[in-house]
Amino acid sequence: MGKIIAFILLNLCMVCQSAGQENDEEIPRSMNEGTLLGFGTSNIKDTYLSPFNYNGWGARILNERMKTISAGKGRYSRQQIINVDITSTRNPAENVNDFGTFIDYSLSYHYRIPFGSSIKLLAGLSTHLMGGFIYNTRNGNNPLSAKVDIDLGISMIILYGLKVKDHPLTLRYQTELPFGGLFFSPPYGISYYEMFNEGNTSDVIAFNSFHNKFAVKNYLTVDIPIRHFTLRLGYLNSLYYSETNDINTHMISHSFMIGWVKEFIVLGGKRSNNKSRVNSSYY
Amino acid sequence: MTRYIAYIMCPALLCLYLTGCDFEDEYNVSPRRNFESLWKIIDENYCFFEYKNVNWDNIYSRYSPEIEEQMSDYDLFRIMSDMLDELQDGHVNLLSSNVGISSYDGWLNGYPSNFNTEVLRNTYWSRSQNYNDIVKHNRIVDNQIGYIYYGSFKESILEKDLDNIFSTFSYCKGIIIDVRDNGGGSITNSDRLASRFLNEKTLCGYIRHKTGKGHDDFSDPYPIYLTPSHGYLWLKPVIVITNRKCYSATNNFVSKMKVLPSVTILGGRTGGGSGFPFTSELPNGWSIRFSTSPILDVDKQHTEFGIEPDIEVDLTDEDIKENKDTLIEEAVRILLN
Repeated sequence: MGKIIAFILLNLCMVCQSAGQENDEEIPRSMNEGTLLGFGTSNIKDTYLSPFNYNGWGARILNERMKTISAGKGRYSRQQIINVDITSTRNPAENVNDFGTFIDYSLSYHYRIPFGSSIKLLAGLSTHLMGGFIYNTRNGNNPLSAKVDIDLGISMIILYGLKVKDHPLTLRYQTELPFGGLFFSPPYGISYYEMFNEGNTSDVIAFNSFHNKFAVKNYLTVDIPIRHFTLRLGYLNSLYYSETNDINTHMISHSFMIGWVKEFIVLGGKRSNNKSRVNSSYY
Repeated sequence: MTRYIAYIMCPALLCLYLTGCDFEDEYNVSPRRNFESLWKIIDENYCFFEYKNVNWDNIYSRYSPEIEEQMSDYDLFRIMSDMLDELQDGHVNLLSSNVGISSYDGWLNGYPSNFNTEVLRNTYWSRSQNYNDIVKHNRIVDNQIGYIYYGSFKESILEKDLDNIFSTFSYCKGIIIDVRDNGGGSITNSDRLASRFLNEKTLCGYIRHKTGKGHDDFSDPYPIYLTPSHGYLWLKPVIVITNRKCYSATNNFVSKMKVLPSVTILGGRTGGGSGFPFTSELPNGWSIRFSTSPILDVDKQHTEFGIEPDIEVDLTDEDIKENKDTLIEEAVRILLN
């Protein structure tokens, strides 16, 4: 009798497990992708180039992708953000320009905590890679200040779905705060000639954390469905402060973002052969 | 939940508020503010205080009382320029769009020019090929000597063009590299030429940089090597002709060439200018350039005040009258013997 009960329980478990898998298959995990353009103000100070604040404008293009991952039964999601930022700023006397170009990529994994049906809190870790430079149009032998950072940080998102006159909106607040990593940190008075022509690259990489760097991004968006499209409007505030080897840098930007969002299911690889789930024009 | 959101957003908004307030360095035309700023930039960055035995605090005490809030830009510029001249450095320049450029040229005083363009045009450059406005090359003395005049290292010569120039010298007994009145330019350009005269990687000097704002805060000397070009190499005798106006990158070129075994430096003492310069600015928008990284010779000695030639030769009036350049004639005599 015991053997029979054990056999039934085992089979029940297997059925439940397979049913769960089928359930996973039936509810495919979709990808939320947004591409936004941003315009706003930029304030840059890099004492390797000048002791003064340079103010001007900045433009950026940002692509973000978010998807729940298979591990943890949908409790985890992955987010990737690629951002390209260009800035043009002028010194206080308005007779010199700094041009900046930066590209940064972040990969975050969040644990998802729902609060009711309309609010989700996502909290997790992120890795962030940033590279770029500031170019000063007047400085002869020190015209460039390069920036390369790789960080680990905390990332947090609050998603809030609401309706305004039966119109569904989704609000999102996101913040990213790096807490440690490595960055390019040239010694106080070293020239790029000495570093890159003569090869003196010792001591140009330093550990960074809150003692010498503070960076945070605040990102606020609202998704507005309009017919077959979803419009995303937002505000992105990026703050970056560093102080190493008596070289102070700050980069502050405020960007107003506009773009579109699409939610789609990735069916690449073997999944694309499952013709019962998709009416493909190709496969 | 609203309370949680507030807890989370408050630090972020506080950061936004705090960082948004950092606008203390604004446009300022106050003579006092600009004078103080200039003095501080030099104090924290200039690299030859100790070598030149300059007491920058004393200099502040001397010039500061001359600053008045109602003074004109011209007067302020003049006082600042006079203060900077105390550094005796041609790499220290103040630049104002409405007043001009200050440039110390006291290092030229007491030295003969040793350079007469009329004689050169009449006798040595008349058949030369002009690579551009400031680089000329030619074979002289019945094609026995190759001659290159390089008037500024701001101009570059392409590697393939250097190959062509050196290949025309292949049957010559020696080469003269004339860099008189070459006030410098890019070390990349001067190194490109120097790399033709050696066949193995050679230690040619050292460089140091400031590691902090103190006058003595310097890194250890970092070796500078010259590596041979992949193009045409010239290992037969070379004479580099110099005068006092060989400055900055040209001084660096002479310092490196002096190390090479087949090279002789002939003419007058070079001008120096061995500090690698940086640029910064004042609150009124004026630009300030100054030496920050001393480049030392192979014996770790400064060349800020110039390099003595191996053979000192001055241009004589008698030779000028005969349309002869004493320095070139002496170089030819040495190379043919």
